[in-house]
Amino acid sequence: MAKILPFKQDLTAAEKFSLVKREALYTGLALAGLIIFWLIAGFGLANVDVKIFHLPLWAVAGSIGVWFFAIFISFILSQKLFKDIDLGGEGDE
Amino acid sequence: MNEQGSFAALLPLIIFMAVMVAVSIYVRHKQAEKNFVGNYFIGNRSLGGFVLAMTTVATYSSVSSFVGGPGMAFQIGFGWIYMAVVQVTAIFLVLGIFGKRVALLARKLNAVTVVDIIRARFESNFLAAAAAFVIVLFFCGTMTAQFVGGAKLFSAVTGYSYETGLILFGLVVVIYTSIGGFRAVAITDTFCALIMMVGIVLLLHYVLAAGGGYEQIMTSIEANHPEMLEPFSAGNMPWTIYFTQWLLVGICTIALPQSVVRGISYKDTHGLHSAMLIGTVVVGFMNIGINFTGILAHGVLTGSPADYGGVDNIIPTTIVTVMPKELVGLAIIGPLAASISTISGLLIVASSAIIKDVYLHYKPNVESSRLRILSMATTAIIGGIVFVIALTPPSLIWLINMFAFGGLETAFFWTLLLGLFWKGANKLGALMSTIGGTIIYCATQAAGFKILNLHQITIGITISLVLFLIGSYFGKASEPKTLKIFFPQ
Repeated sequence: MAKILPFKQDLTAAEKFSLVKREALYTGLALAGLIIFWLIAGFGLANVDVKIFHLPLWAVAGSIGVWFFAIFISFILSQKLFKDIDLGGEGDE
Repeated sequence: MNEQGSFAALLPLIIFMAVMVAVSIYVRHKQAEKNFVGNYFIGNRSLGGFVLAMTTVATYSSVSSFVGGPGMAFQIGFGWIYMAVVQVTAIFLVLGIFGKRVALLARKLNAVTVVDIIRARFESNFLAAAAAFVIVLFFCGTMTAQFVGGAKLFSAVTGYSYETGLILFGLVVVIYTSIGGFRAVAITDTFCALIMMVGIVLLLHYVLAAGGGYEQIMTSIEANHPEMLEPFSAGNMPWTIYFTQWLLVGICTIALPQSVVRGISYKDTHGLHSAMLIGTVVVGFMNIGINFTGILAHGVLTGSPADYGGVDNIIPTTIVTVMPKELVGLAIIGPLAASISTISGLLIVASSAIIKDVYLHYKPNVESSRLRILSMATTAIIGGIVFVIALTPPSLIWLINMFAFGGLETAFFWTLLLGLFWKGANKLGALMSTIGGTIIYCATQAAGFKILNLHQITIGITISLVLFLIGSYFGKASEPKTLKIFFPQ
């Protein structure tokens, strides 16, 4: 996991844009991770003969499992990897 | 009009709509007089995390999520939920990829709309005008679908006429959006999202009760519809649907202007981070909750969708069948809230495309009082036009909705993604991608042309990328002063 960046208000514009680009990249990687999880949780478990609450395992993992995984990803992104920055005011250079 | 409904079924909706109008008037009253455009079209960049999450989810979740979607889940089974759950990506993707970049740029450029940012990035008034046109055109299609879907649901459940429903919720949403602008839209969207969740829980409760309980319903499905427990649903859910839905309602939704504009409207990054998390929780709850309810409706409706007039009638029929009469009016507020929140979200962006992106660009020195009247009138006129179209509903309305979704994604996906993250993106690439991609997408839709039976979004998004890259290779590089703004060193 990437190092959690400290909160800084005095980043330059270049540093802010660089940070935002890195965060967008993290988001893209998170999407790739979610797609892999989705494939495994659904199609990957389709032939597993296990039932939970009258539902096949793939149906639970491929719906609620994917949702929980997405919440986990959003938590890691927004609370651990993303950093608070000052967005500036009107017409800031 | 043939009015056979009871007033009791109407009352909750009347109260709900009255609250929406009251909120709108209150917001209008509280808004500062200075900077009208910023106030009216993006709420003066003051949204907190919770409201940002709710307005993004509510605008994204349309009436088809509450009516057509669960009707399909009734027919297909758990494969449909497996497909629909890809929408959990919609909020964290758009806010995570564009949220901060758009916010930083909007403050630098004093931008109010997504088109403002496109104009500045590609230094093209023609591209900006084309983008505004695409937004208004496809938004009108989507809004019409919402009006028609909502009014049909209203009519089926309450017994009142289609036209009464259209007037009651359609006209009111146009009025409150025109009065209150973006901030009113965001706050009413928040109400709508909360009501949608309450509606899902309420309907699920009564479906379970009427069907004899969860265990009995599932045992019946296992015995009578075993294909509903398979991901491919005995051929009813081919891989092509999964693939195209990942594009249409998952990955490519990051480029929907009505979602991206939320990145201009929030107050600080703390709020954005909260919104990513809250939005993902809410959108997953709604998607899984309402589609699961659609499947469990088998405990109440024992026939096939055709027996009830098609998949779109499954949820209305279920509501009428399982809900106590005094709660029917309350139950339809959820799906109608999905409809009106989408309409209001699109209406304000369509209005900004005309006033801010076109009119104000060519006539920048307009008096504030005149601008206020023009903005509100434009919102009302667009809403009025869509309202009139919906009075004589076109056929295949759900296809129009998906057509519009794909069109917007084709037009803006690469232009926004590459434009904001790649220095080599230039005007020619963006023009070819936005205009060429959209034309080819529309042409393939009109001709019914498909590759591997995939939705035309796959063709549109691919051609759009190819055109963008060709244009960027042969076109003139962006001016250094522009690159300095968008990619500061």
